[in-house]
Amino acid sequence: MIEIEDLHKHFGAVRALDGVSLSVAAGEVVCLIGPSGSGKSTLLRCINFLEEPTSGVVRVDGKRVGWNASGDRRVSTRELARTRAEIGMVFQHFYLWPHMVALENVIEGLITVKRMPVGEAAARGRALLTKVGLADKMETYPEHLSGGQRQRVAIARALAMDPRVMLFDEPTSSLDPELVGEVLRVMEQVAGEGMTMLVATHEMGFARKVADRVVFLDQGKIVEVGTPEEVFGTPREERTRRFLERILV
Amino acid sequence: MHLDFTVAWKYLPFLLQASLMTIALSVVSQALGTLAAFFLALGRMSARPWLRRPIIAYIWVVRGTPLLLHLFFVYYAAPAFGITLDAFPAAIIAMSASAAAYNAEIIRAGLQAVHRGQVEAAYAVGMRYAQVVRRIIVPQAVRIIIPPYMGNAISHTKNSSLASVITVPELMLTAQMIYSSTYRAIEILTVTGAIYLVLTSCLSALQMYFERVTSYEQRGLGSARRRRLLLDAPLQSA
Repeated sequence: MIEIEDLHKHFGAVRALDGVSLSVAAGEVVCLIGPSGSGKSTLLRCINFLEEPTSGVVRVDGKRVGWNASGDRRVSTRELARTRAEIGMVFQHFYLWPHMVALENVIEGLITVKRMPVGEAAARGRALLTKVGLADKMETYPEHLSGGQRQRVAIARALAMDPRVMLFDEPTSSLDPELVGEVLRVMEQVAGEGMTMLVATHEMGFARKVADRVVFLDQGKIVEVGTPEEVFGTPREERTRRFLERILV
Repeated sequence: MHLDFTVAWKYLPFLLQASLMTIALSVVSQALGTLAAFFLALGRMSARPWLRRPIIAYIWVVRGTPLLLHLFFVYYAAPAFGITLDAFPAAIIAMSASAAAYNAEIIRAGLQAVHRGQVEAAYAVGMRYAQVVRRIIVPQAVRIIIPPYMGNAISHTKNSSLASVITVPELMLTAQMIYSSTYRAIEILTVTGAIYLVLTSCLSALQMYFERVTSYEQRGLGSARRRRLLLDAPLQSA
């Protein structure tokens, strides 16, 4: 479902991504772990072209992102937008639109991008907000929601577009500890429904429980890939071991 | 000192007539200037130097030189380029150019106050640039822009008095003509000042109104928006 081939992203002299190749099958949940600055966010942002890769290829559902199939021409902004609509993204800082209530946030893409009639979009938005446990917050502005509630609205907003894959960029890292669980439960539910997910996270419990595979990134390179049991239980690489020791104390 | 406001009363219809010209001058140039300013602000924020740099230069020159000079320049220098303008269109051009430069910076400040992450979230659901501007950036920027924008609109309205120097028959020029023939400067200037005060007070009131209707947190969802979202209908099962 997601194919990444030799992806590089350089910011000046800094190699945020230094030759990453990864393939995620349909329905698979892959967790990206690694220290800050290891390239997890950059990798996710390159997949939907919020960040333009310096080189390398990203394909989602067989279609190359940002470039035409032969790779000699950039796609139009219209085409890029269409591709992005099929890739759901959830951000660390939620980025809900503060001038819209929860329901409007969820259905904005349906109305503006998919040109769905408001009534139909609203029905779908209400169903999604109910699913993430926010049936009573439909007409609440983000300002009056807790961090956990905001992130659940953001997940519903991404799901509304009926994406082929979902990218989560440290979705619980800016939450108070007691709010992390409610967001992880929703993500687990989404995973259980067969969504293809790529999740950058520091939540090792979630990775252990939900991930099919765990990818350990360091300094822009994939150091180790394996099942949660392999990576957490018997890490092959010294760097993985050191990282896990530091974070699992 | 002997004051005689009956003279002012007698000439009031002329002053009111002239204030219509002041209103036309201010409103038309402010409207044209705002429209231009919106695109100047977007261009000013562009990553493309060939688009951004000329706009920076334009704003620098126009804000850095007096409106009085622009008025003279358009009115007296235009014929040198083979264009002869009447006083009113010349004033509209000069004042619109000025309003565009000031408003561009005010609008830019508002547009840039919208967090980059919100824009990325909009791109991530598949919106294109124009949609992001229309649906995400502008609705939020408007609230931020209102106070400085209306403050500038008030200055702009008062500055329309400068158009008197190129013979636009607006309020200030009319006042001058009346008191120079009646020698009742104090009375006429007092009444003229009062008319300006009424005009600018309307703008202040408008500002408060705009601030009220755009403060969404306090207002909550209006009934029209609730109906549109079918929130008044019984909850459907998910």
